[in-house]
Amino acid sequence: MEFFRVSRDAWGQETLEGISWDLLPVAIAIGVAVIVAHAIYRAIRGNRGSRK
Amino acid sequence: MNDEALEARSAEAAGERIPRHAAVDRAFHWIVAVSVLTLLATSLLPVAGVKFSWVTIHWVTGIVLIAAVLFHIVRALFWQKPRCMAVRGRDVKAAMRGAATGKYSLAQKLMHHALGVIVLVAIGTGIAMLAKVDTPFWERDPYLLSSGTWGIVYVLHGLAALLAVTLVMIHVYFGLRPENRGYLRAMVRGWMTREEALAKHEHVEHWTKVGARR
Repeated sequence: MEFFRVSRDAWGQETLEGISWDLLPVAIAIGVAVIVAHAIYRAIRGNRGSRK
Repeated sequence: MNDEALEARSAEAAGERIPRHAAVDRAFHWIVAVSVLTLLATSLLPVAGVKFSWVTIHWVTGIVLIAAVLFHIVRALFWQKPRCMAVRGRDVKAAMRGAATGKYSLAQKLMHHALGVIVLVAIGTGIAMLAKVDTPFWERDPYLLSSGTWGIVYVLHGLAALLAVTLVMIHVYFGLRPENRGYLRAMVRGWMTREEALAKHEHVEHWTKVGARR
């Protein structure tokens, strides 16, 4: 997996183009992981997270 | 007072509406929400293979976001109390008790700060990238920065976008949680019930003193 997009300019030098879009599924996966983990945590813990 | 009357008074107090967000602050929130979703969609859908002319929608929406953020910064600094968003030790201790000690919980403050930094990075790099766009107001100048510097600008802008994807997903999830329904209503209608507020916050009376002065 690449982290950056790199190309070569007219003189053959490496040029940084931007962040690699291979990371987009990673960003989405992290969001899904946090959501699923919290949903499971709340399902197990119930409403004990609220003040009485 | 007999038990029935006490119960009726208690129920009435529980349903009392606690004002939380002024109309202008709610409008700001939803304008930013629509702007950020539009910016993410116009930039990332083409990456995912959905091709369309996205550049104009993207930078025009970026201008809208910049205007909204500038409005919020001025309003928060001069019409509201910025310290209500400061993270303090007592916020962490309250979070361990499952509560918030002020108007905003630790999680809400951290989300605000994280998204704030990400949006500011995206805006700063986006403003630089406006130089590469032909608009009715200016001609593009792709040589404003060196190619190496442009690379850093694009990396930061892309990184801000990816982090925004993750945080927006998490923010929307928590906004739709059943136990947070009061917060969602407060961001639409401006108020939550006293019962909802006291379920999460240790003090609610000072909301009308700290935060929005209407």
